[in-house]
Amino acid sequence: MRSRMRVSTDRRRGAGRDGFRVGRREVLTGSVGTGALLALPNLNLGSHPAAKRHAADSSGTFGRYTFVYGTPDLGKDLAGSLVAASYPAPKTASVLSPAAITMSPRTIPVAVNLAATPVSSPDQAVTAVATVEMTRDGAKVKMVLLDPATAKVARQGSVTLDGVPADANILVTPVFAPDSEVVSLVLAITRPVTRRPVHKVHPLTGKPVPRLATTWRSHHALAYFDQRTEAMTGPFYLDDEPSLALSTAAASGSELLLWTTREPQPGDPAAVRAQASLSRLSVFPLGSGKARLSVPAPAPWPGGEPVATLPSGDIARLVRGSGVQVCSVSTGDVTELTVAAFSQVRSRPSAVTMQIRPDGTAFLTKPGSGVAVIADPADSFRTSAEIRFPPPASPLGAPWSKAVLSAEGETMYVLGPASSGGLSAYEVSSGKLTASYTEGSHYYGLHQMPDGTLLAVQPQNPRLAFFAPDLSPLGASDTDLYVSAIF
Amino acid sequence: MTGYDTAGPIQDTYQSAYDEFGASPDYWIRYFHPSPAADLFNDGAVAESIGAWESGGGFVGCISAPVQSRLSGSAAEGQADAQAFAAALLSAYHAVYPLELPANNQLYCWLDQEYSTSLSPAYWNAWANYIAERDFDGLGTYPLYPCLYCDPYSPYPNCTTIAKSKGVNVPSAIWSSEPEPCGSLTKPPHWNADRCATVPTRLWQFGEQNACNFSANVDLDADAPGFVTADYCFRLASKP
Repeated sequence: MRSRMRVSTDRRRGAGRDGFRVGRREVLTGSVGTGALLALPNLNLGSHPAAKRHAADSSGTFGRYTFVYGTPDLGKDLAGSLVAASYPAPKTASVLSPAAITMSPRTIPVAVNLAATPVSSPDQAVTAVATVEMTRDGAKVKMVLLDPATAKVARQGSVTLDGVPADANILVTPVFAPDSEVVSLVLAITRPVTRRPVHKVHPLTGKPVPRLATTWRSHHALAYFDQRTEAMTGPFYLDDEPSLALSTAAASGSELLLWTTREPQPGDPAAVRAQASLSRLSVFPLGSGKARLSVPAPAPWPGGEPVATLPSGDIARLVRGSGVQVCSVSTGDVTELTVAAFSQVRSRPSAVTMQIRPDGTAFLTKPGSGVAVIADPADSFRTSAEIRFPPPASPLGAPWSKAVLSAEGETMYVLGPASSGGLSAYEVSSGKLTASYTEGSHYYGLHQMPDGTLLAVQPQNPRLAFFAPDLSPLGASDTDLYVSAIF
Repeated sequence: MTGYDTAGPIQDTYQSAYDEFGASPDYWIRYFHPSPAADLFNDGAVAESIGAWESGGGFVGCISAPVQSRLSGSAAEGQADAQAFAAALLSAYHAVYPLELPANNQLYCWLDQEYSTSLSPAYWNAWANYIAERDFDGLGTYPLYPCLYCDPYSPYPNCTTIAKSKGVNVPSAIWSSEPEPCGSLTKPPHWNADRCATVPTRLWQFGEQNACNFSANVDLDADAPGFVTADYCFRLASKP
């Protein structure tokens, strides 16, 4: 087992920050009222000085970008924002002198006030970000596909939702389809339907306070973006009001699967109230707004559970942090499977992840229980490898990615134990700890780039720490974002 | 008063908790949708309520733990999560006949913000506003109150975010996850919960299963002096 101690780090506070300053020209308040914190992102990366430096860099030290999502720490009322961080290429141990562990000043702002958390394509070739701009006639939903090789816009398209009031909220979920150039957009439109004066008891004084209360209703729409032509098809409005805005979606090569939930109503009859689930699964041919199939879906209600398209074309949902529901794309039938290593219940939930690997196996992690497995979806998610590790600190907190698998599947990297922090590496075949790195820092998220470079995030700057596959430190970057996810 | 919070079904948990701590909790706090990594109270509300009744703790508090990266996000994300949470509360309320709102008509609705999660103002304000203005079951009494579970001294934005909120968006209470001196259900530590500057801490998770090596799948919680958490939970009027 290798064990590394960090010897020196250039922590030039403030140096190399991404300069996440958002000017008046860049942040456009699109409307007024609830949910009106809308902005157009600064996506013109080609003119950014850092991007120009990157383009001019011929040393080969910096290979490509990774996109870092989070909350700006400047005290501004901004929602989720995105920066691009360049990262150093893996180096051999011979160059790991303290001088080699330097700051990487290449984080640049990409977007502010995103409509939703970004989504990367299964092959990580592009990352989709969405913004919503409220206009006089409705809502303009813009989707941009970012190229991590250049940190520039690769493709983009937009769709306008006519007649949406300025104080509506639009939840945008991009859905990539394996083996298809079509990106689906699931749009949840939540609009106010009534406002009436009410009296609500103040929690501290116990006295009724007069105010206006708003009642909201949600329905969904679909749109489709063709990456080849940059054409957007839609919107197709679904007749599903009142439904919950929160949904789950995944796509096979030719169809979109959408789980939605009917919003329970005060006047629901007893028979409806007794239903175990109010959710439905609908299957739409890509490009269509008419469901080919719509069937009741078993609990739990959709919303945030990891979901993946299997090589068979069927869809897997990792539910309750303990089991997998495999949904037949042809019939909508659901098969419930148990992941034995995940069955242990604890007092606290844990982050869970599920990723389909190029060989068709699935990599699933549950850091709160200190376990990750490789399972075979073609064999009822039979576990072929199980790796146990000490749970890291904040196993439910963001980012949810706490453990990653090397491209070859031979090594699993995971955040170090809650007691000591750092990073650890395990041999997948034996489950044995093979390397560790610690210098006292606790990291809270871990991401692996296509070239094998590891990126760990911590609360204080430099928040981005890069490591080689042998866990030797490569460099660090400041960012003004509290990091929630990495793409 | 003291109680448990757990990510597991109450009916599968209460006996082992009783065996370990030798007493009945004054309340349970359970996860509701959207909490994609937990067993959900609203998925089996009847069985859970029977378990709560049989445990001697016929009060059920409500927490939601969405995917944590969403808490850094937009107003649309916050509103969608709150809408789903309120719907799950209503679904459980409909499913269990003797499950009633608190007598004071104030049901505290906790949002789970973990240590390494940053809370954006856009998300929080939309989440809190929807909860506060929800006309629950058409009663016209607006009994839902937004509250925040967090680690107040975490370096990530939590207290600073809610300090900017106004009106009904101000959380009614903080449930602090720190410090964690452990203890037991019947002998909680002297009140010493971490605090935010602008909102009072009403509930303290003083013992977490992992850190305190509890065998039962529960964390231990204590009320602030003068505060009774059970008064802000669903209450079971009878055995379901």
